Amino acid sequence: MKQDYKLYFHNRIKISCLFLFISAYLMINAGYAYAHRVTIFAWVEGDTIHTESKFSDGKAVKGGDIIVSGLQGKQLLKGKTDDHGEFSFRIPEKTAMKLVVLAGMGHRGEWTIPLDEIQPSAGEPAEPADLQKKTVSGSEIKPEIEPALNLNPNNFQFALEKALDRKLSPVIRMLAELREPKGPAIHDILGGIGYIFGFVGIAAYFNYRRKKTDL
Amino acid sequence: MHISEGVLSGPVLFTGAAITAAGTAIGLKRLDYDKIARAGIISSVFFVASLIHVPIGPSSVHLILNGIAGLLLGWGAFPALLVALFLQSVIFQFGGITTLGINTVIMAAPAVICYYLFSSMLQKKPYITMPAAFAAGFLSVLLSAVLVGAALMFTEEGFFNVAALVVAAHIPVMIIEGIITAFCIAFLKQVQPEILAKSLA
Repeated sequence: MKQDYKLYFHNRIKISCLFLFISAYLMINAGYAYAHRVTIFAWVEGDTIHTESKFSDGKAVKGGDIIVSGLQGKQLLKGKTDDHGEFSFRIPEKTAMKLVVLAGMGHRGEWTIPLDEIQPSAGEPAEPADLQKKTVSGSEIKPEIEPALNLNPNNFQFALEKALDRKLSPVIRMLAELREPKGPAIHDILGGIGYIFGFVGIAAYFNYRRKKTDL
Repeated sequence: MHISEGVLSGPVLFTGAAITAAGTAIGLKRLDYDKIARAGIISSVFFVASLIHVPIGPSSVHLILNGIAGLLLGWGAFPALLVALFLQSVIFQFGGITTLGINTVIMAAPAVICYYLFSSMLQKKPYITMPAAFAAGFLSVLLSAVLVGAALMFTEEGFFNVAALVVAAHIPVMIIEGIITAFCIAFLKQVQPEILAKSLA
């Protein structure tokens, strides 16, 4: 009897050790983010679209295929991500676009750029020289007045947008990183386990009812 | 090894769902009162194991533990893994709802195969049990990788390319899973031998 008790106690210690080990391992790992999901983030900068693709643990998708298509499914262009998971291209057409990244082994991420993010100046190559020519032909402010400054509304807007793009791009990048889910939180994991125990309860209940009616 | 939504073609998804439905039906039928709790535990272990990321190798891989699921549950692996995969797709957005069927087949079919191959060896002496458990852990991941290749061959560039890639990426996981499975089975044999005895049902 005493022997039994001792054995039982011994086993209990073993089981709790295992449990502790597993929980400790999980705690250590909780700091990492986990990989499964692939996300692609894209932003417009002038006439270029930049994309960044990552696994959900923050690893860049290297050499993943990027497929850019219109919302109706017409493929516009294709490319590969570089070593940082980035891929940039000039806007091929002034339409809303869907960007898909294929990271192999069934991993796939998607991002949609709505039409209003693609700025009106995007379609035509908006070089300052071009704009100047245009404004010469049909502008209210004569170029001879301020030839050096080029301060007509169109040029000013172009310069402003360019400067804003440049200044904002780190912010946009930061937003992209914030948007990136940081892997499952501990309450998600516990919640999932709770669901499973709930299912066990339901299964046990129905099994019990079946047994009862059989008797 | 969770296949994302929108990668596979309709017929593949449909076949996966059909096999999962059949497997789950068989599994539920065989789950008796004692096994329900066990299935629940395995299901939660599987649910959490996919979060344990193995930082070796070229791609992002994680523990799967479908070998243990198969050894302890047999056909019961289908409902157990289906539940776990469903919750993973809803809570963590791993995989997806439409690919739930095919993902369950990828995980649970190797589990059932390992159950038929190895579960009878678990009653034997430790020098048979440990290698058998290791083989179960190793083989189940290998078969899962091959199944991923098979599922993707209709969309990507050909079965052997994809399968080789997936298998190569999972070699570290196979070894780790083999070791974990061997130790878990040895541990269970010592602590709760009746779990292994009853799994022959």
